[in-house]
Amino acid sequence: MLRRYATGAAILIFLGLYPVTFGATSTYHCAIMIVLGIYVILAVSLDLLVGFAGQLSLGHGAFYAIGAYTSGILTATYQMSPTGAMVIGACLTGVIAAILGWSVLSLKGYYLAMATMGLTAITHSVIIGWQSLTGGASGLRDVPAFHLFGLALESYDSYYYVVWILAILVVLACLAIVRSPMGRTLMALHSDEAAASTLGINCSFHKTCTFVASAVFASIAGSLYAHYMGFLAPDDFSIFTSIHLLVMVFLGGVGTLYGAALGAIFLKLLPELTHTFQDYELLGSGIILILILVFMPQGLWGLLSIAGRKMLAHLSVQAESKGVRQ
Amino acid sequence: MKKTVMLLFSSAFFLSLTICGGAVAADKIVKIGGVYPLTGYLSWLGEYYKKAATLEVEQINKAGGVNGYKLELVIYDDQSSPEEATRAALRLVSRDQVVAITGTATAPITGAVSSVANKNKIPAILSSGYDVKADKEPFLFNTAHPTYFAIGRPFMYLKKQNVKSAGLLMPIGSLGEIGIANSKRASQDFNIPIVCEERFDVKAPDVTAQLAKLRGSTPSAIFSFTTGEPAALVAKNMAQLRFDVPLIVSHGNATPGFLRLASGFTTNIIVPTGKIMVPESLAANDPCKAVIVQFNNLHQERYGEPANYFSGLVADAVMLIIEGMKIAKSSTDPVKIRDGIENIKNFPGIGGVYNMSATDHYGTKMDDMVLITIKEGNWTQIQ
Amino acid sequence: MDISQIIQFTFSGLTLGSIYALMAVSLSIVYKVSRVISFAQGEFFVFGALTMITLTGLGVWAPIAFLLSILVAALLGAAIEQTLIRPVLNSPLGTIVTMTIAVSLALRGLALLIWGRGSHTSEPFSGVEPIRIMEAALQMQVLWILGTTLLALLVIWLFFEKTMLGIAIRAVADNSFGASLMGISIRKVNLLSWSWGSALGAVAGMVVAPLYFIQYASGVLPMVNGFIAIAISGLRSIPAAVIAGFFLGFVEAYSIGFVSSQFAEIIVFTVLIVVLMIRTKTASRTSFDEKGM
Repeated sequence: MLRRYATGAAILIFLGLYPVTFGATSTYHCAIMIVLGIYVILAVSLDLLVGFAGQLSLGHGAFYAIGAYTSGILTATYQMSPTGAMVIGACLTGVIAAILGWSVLSLKGYYLAMATMGLTAITHSVIIGWQSLTGGASGLRDVPAFHLFGLALESYDSYYYVVWILAILVVLACLAIVRSPMGRTLMALHSDEAAASTLGINCSFHKTCTFVASAVFASIAGSLYAHYMGFLAPDDFSIFTSIHLLVMVFLGGVGTLYGAALGAIFLKLLPELTHTFQDYELLGSGIILILILVFMPQGLWGLLSIAGRKMLAHLSVQAESKGVRQ
Repeated sequence: MKKTVMLLFSSAFFLSLTICGGAVAADKIVKIGGVYPLTGYLSWLGEYYKKAATLEVEQINKAGGVNGYKLELVIYDDQSSPEEATRAALRLVSRDQVVAITGTATAPITGAVSSVANKNKIPAILSSGYDVKADKEPFLFNTAHPTYFAIGRPFMYLKKQNVKSAGLLMPIGSLGEIGIANSKRASQDFNIPIVCEERFDVKAPDVTAQLAKLRGSTPSAIFSFTTGEPAALVAKNMAQLRFDVPLIVSHGNATPGFLRLASGFTTNIIVPTGKIMVPESLAANDPCKAVIVQFNNLHQERYGEPANYFSGLVADAVMLIIEGMKIAKSSTDPVKIRDGIENIKNFPGIGGVYNMSATDHYGTKMDDMVLITIKEGNWTQIQ
Repeated sequence: MDISQIIQFTFSGLTLGSIYALMAVSLSIVYKVSRVISFAQGEFFVFGALTMITLTGLGVWAPIAFLLSILVAALLGAAIEQTLIRPVLNSPLGTIVTMTIAVSLALRGLALLIWGRGSHTSEPFSGVEPIRIMEAALQMQVLWILGTTLLALLVIWLFFEKTMLGIAIRAVADNSFGASLMGISIRKVNLLSWSWGSALGAVAGMVVAPLYFIQYASGVLPMVNGFIAIAISGLRSIPAAVIAGFFLGFVEAYSIGFVSSQFAEIIVFTVLIVVLMIRTKTASRTSFDEKGM
């Protein structure tokens, strides 16, 4: 128990001090952490849906896009405040997710994946087609930096805190959902939907709620992304984005939340290593992912927790033997 | 064992994050950056950029560098994605401390890098169909000819040929959007009405349905502002349908790759391009001839293939940076270099004689473009 | 709109549909036997096409190049199954699929190294002159694709209905525990499904390549369309996958022709979602493939 809080505290301290330690060496390091924060939100919220509610969704890209473009358009074209735009984006996404979820969530497995992939593809096409609103394929320019109550948060150092505070809040929210009675209902639903409904659980209601929650989180990530880039293009919101997010979840260890965060961090940092491979970059990334999946089939988190447990066991054995001698 | 592996992994990552790039060299070195698509759907283009920029930087260093500094070219792969391009640009600006950036294919990626460049006040001399608004993005320059020239020039030619109408087969994507907007403008300026318009997915294996629809309105020419494989596919399908009207494609097709793909088709393909594609047919008093012929020869010698339109774009970008440094008398202050570039006048590059100003960040004229077509497996200029 | 145009839309649908149908078959084979949706199929498509182009470029006679490329792809598929898929077979299905994604990245990276970034052309099997009806034209190669698909269906049917091994595989697919009790080696079955699947993917690449141009990343889109086709057909029957592939091709071509070329993609995906919704409301409750997993 104490160990868990200790790790959590260590991580928070690291994150809190990052901009003045590692981050201070260059703005690039802060920028990377901002990207990581955004993807942690995306991956963890996806794991909530995939790992706990058991709904295989390739629709995350769509909600990410809706959040990003709502924020982008409202702040760039209509000069709305970023926080207001983010809230509107989240509400809009929530409503769309509720409607879509209610229709599409009766599908299962592969079919659900394909239907949600369709949602992402349709959103992508709509963004391109509605050029007058979104800038089309050429992109939406001049998205202003984030500012809060008149405080301009233009520099990456300050925006970093906005992103990571939201990221931590989202992770805590997902943890809270998972540990609540709702979370237990979700897990029952996940393992056997027919059985769960005989117990009186309204499966479609719970599935839709989770779908909406994860969509809203994805939308927040999208808004954060819009202000980070200052520019939006539909290329970043395709079905391959959705697939990429799913890979993060499974690489990190599905159904563990922390695993998804690890997966996001890993996959987003990987190019830092592989860009030195030059022409071998694509092959190298593939091989690295293969190696991880072969040697750590429970994902990155699985390995960390096994390693952590072994380390603890080792330490407590040592402590015991010391105690015996005394 | 697994613990050690994990430990090694994590240390490798933190190391890769915090390691500073670049060793200290003996000469005075200044870095310029390149954001090129080395993987992803634009990778064929990235390769041309990389070759040309590397060659140009080598030549400059051989000639002694500029203002006493040697150049170092730092290239990062943007994976054909705006998000990765932003990251690459940030890395260049903050880790490598470059004084200027070159590169980028396609308008969205240019937009992403421009955003970073303007925020960090580093001049970016990029090359794509992106529409530069110099008042809003003072640090962005574009060596690609403005799209309007690439479309206006063929319209000018068609007018001389007495062509009565045109049809558009535009790709879904930024090139298509730019293509449609500029075609409509050229259509008005040269008085050739556009009688039909269709779109297509660049990854599609077949566009015969769209071509059949277009043919119904009997246009006398087809404009398809797309590059590479899709352009070749349009040509192929047109030949298959015996749709015998001239096909005008984007200026991005002036490459050996496209020549290989499209040589076999009977379609009359017209490619607007820069003069680098026809070095032998340039007039002796053409101010750009010397630069073009020299670069082309060097490129042929070094890489075994002639320079193409894209090679020229990036080589020009590097040359403009150098010229900007000379005018500003500074190789290390990015803001001064930007001012220097903006003040370039009468500079013969590969794409034309550059005349920059506060409102014009392209610097070229419509006459700097020529039209080429494929005859017997080779490029020939249309007079 | 004249009749010639409508015929061309139909030809276009046939062209697109033939590609999607063949890809759907190759995806189906892997799924039917091993229950895995393999993202690596797109790469076998590319490997098959580019290997054949390289071999014919070196002067090898086309039919021999064809067979050699099949062999190379089958061996590659078998090797991948043995070394990479086998270790993760006990993980959740999502992890196995993620492994196929990782494998597809590695294969694509390998193709990039071997064949470079440029596009390659391939010779049509029987000449360039298309079939013409009025002003419409259909590439002859499409008939080859159709023929290959029918041949593949025939071979698959014969195998699964008439050979002991085929029947055994169906047993494994229906009930792998029971089948193993009967002494059927699941390992051999998985190995076979992967080599078959990759061979078929390669065949798809080789017959489709002459229609347009192939480069290292060209396998992704046909594969995605194959995924859509088998989602529409329902993962149960391979002939249904073929029909779904053609259905998809025609929806796309007719949307472009009759509605709008700009919104064809939206129409295709809306049709997909609608078909899935209709099917799920009317499907039998005891369908084993209800989850598709």
